[in-house]
Amino acid sequence: MAVVVEKEKEELGTELKEVIVEPMNYVFGKIMEILTIIGLIAMFVPGIIYIVTGKGYLSRDVVVKYWGLKASAFWKKVMGIKVFGYSWFLSHLTATDCLSIFGVCILAVTPLISLIGAEVKADKKYKVLIGILIIEFLFAIFRPILMGH
Amino acid sequence: MVAFAYAGFYHVFDDVIVGGDSMAWWFWPLFMFVFTLLIGIISPVSGVGGGVLFVPLSTIITPFNIDFIRGAGLVMAVTSALSSVPYLIRKGLANIRIFAIIAPVMVITSVVGGWVGLWVTNAYPNGKYLIKVLLGAIILLVFFIMVSSKRVEFPEVKEEDRDSLSKKLNIWGEYYEPDLDAIIEYTTKNTPIAIVTFAVIGFVAGMFGLGAGWANVPVLNMLMGVPIKVATATSMLIITANAPAIGIYLTKGAILPLIVVPSILGITIGARIGAKVAEIIKPKFVRWLVLAILFIAGVLNIIKGLQGMHVIPPILPGV
Repeated sequence: MAVVVEKEKEELGTELKEVIVEPMNYVFGKIMEILTIIGLIAMFVPGIIYIVTGKGYLSRDVVVKYWGLKASAFWKKVMGIKVFGYSWFLSHLTATDCLSIFGVCILAVTPLISLIGAEVKADKKYKVLIGILIIEFLFAIFRPILMGH
Repeated sequence: MVAFAYAGFYHVFDDVIVGGDSMAWWFWPLFMFVFTLLIGIISPVSGVGGGVLFVPLSTIITPFNIDFIRGAGLVMAVTSALSSVPYLIRKGLANIRIFAIIAPVMVITSVVGGWVGLWVTNAYPNGKYLIKVLLGAIILLVFFIMVSSKRVEFPEVKEEDRDSLSKKLNIWGEYYEPDLDAIIEYTTKNTPIAIVTFAVIGFVAGMFGLGAGWANVPVLNMLMGVPIKVATATSMLIITANAPAIGIYLTKGAILPLIVVPSILGITIGARIGAKVAEIIKPKFVRWLVLAILFIAGVLNIIKGLQGMHVIPPILPGV
């Protein structure tokens, strides 16, 4: 049985019910909560500015014209490039649309960072399982950079 | 009949849908906001996940390529899950022990699914239409699962029912159930079979950018014997395992803020309104209405896909 450090209290009438929330659950949830808020703000604020002004790495009016094409054809037509990896938006973070995509990126890594926090508090068996999960997340995220496609 | 109704709708809104160059730039972002706002409202009322409605309906209504729709659908499903999971964890409803066993398999299959989906549309001339046919078939499968699946409020898992994996990894949890005014303790059974099932679910979720609540909940509840509230909450936690698949769409340039931002904004606001509306209106009627829409969307996707592949003669306009 896990060590109890956090208790969720539900009051009903005069009785007090206590629900055990494991430390690894608690840390996981807390980190996720904070990063989700940061990710949403990072996505929405520049994203709305981009939609309203139309100025970014990709011109809004050109995007509208070609968004019916499949992703590879779209990029060839709009920018004349073949997109792979993350450099196409990470190297243009001064542009509002790329900054908004960076917000999406934060949301995509939120479960990974939450797992790293939970790993510290997990017991032996779950340290292994969460460790495997962390490696998988890292590989999935960095595969395009490592393997070049 | 479905095809006839669709053709009628298409004729009426022809200028709007096919508008292309002549459309004002703001029309489709605004449309996506209103569209996802409505999905956000009806989703909590009907119990049908937002991602499952968003992808098939967007492929029918909007002019966006399916690559961008699936990218937006996946971001939407993951964001919705990320927003609710911290609260569900605090309540003891979302269980990280179950997640830690299922997710290592699901991450791999969802990433492979995302990669296969983009590869099919890009490598084959008819790939886009093949994806539509497969999406339609999956949507019909979702429809039948949602219509036929039973739910058990508090499934009983006896000590002798527990598999060795469940015992070894000490899978357990507890939460407060206000209806019973009691703390409910639970454990799991059939863990190895569930892992295999979740591998398939992960592949489908990654490939089509669908949320997977429709499949996660019955597997957790009926197969693993987890209480329905815990199954629903843990399903949200499991959906976060699809987050790395977003990377696949990012690296292919299939995430466009012009589509994603209004969609996420719409569903985030809509879900909050929907939670309030669910307390007022009759959920049964709305649930059947949404299921009917889902069924029609499945049929239309299959017809449009087969039509695009020239397997059947043209029935619907707009392909």
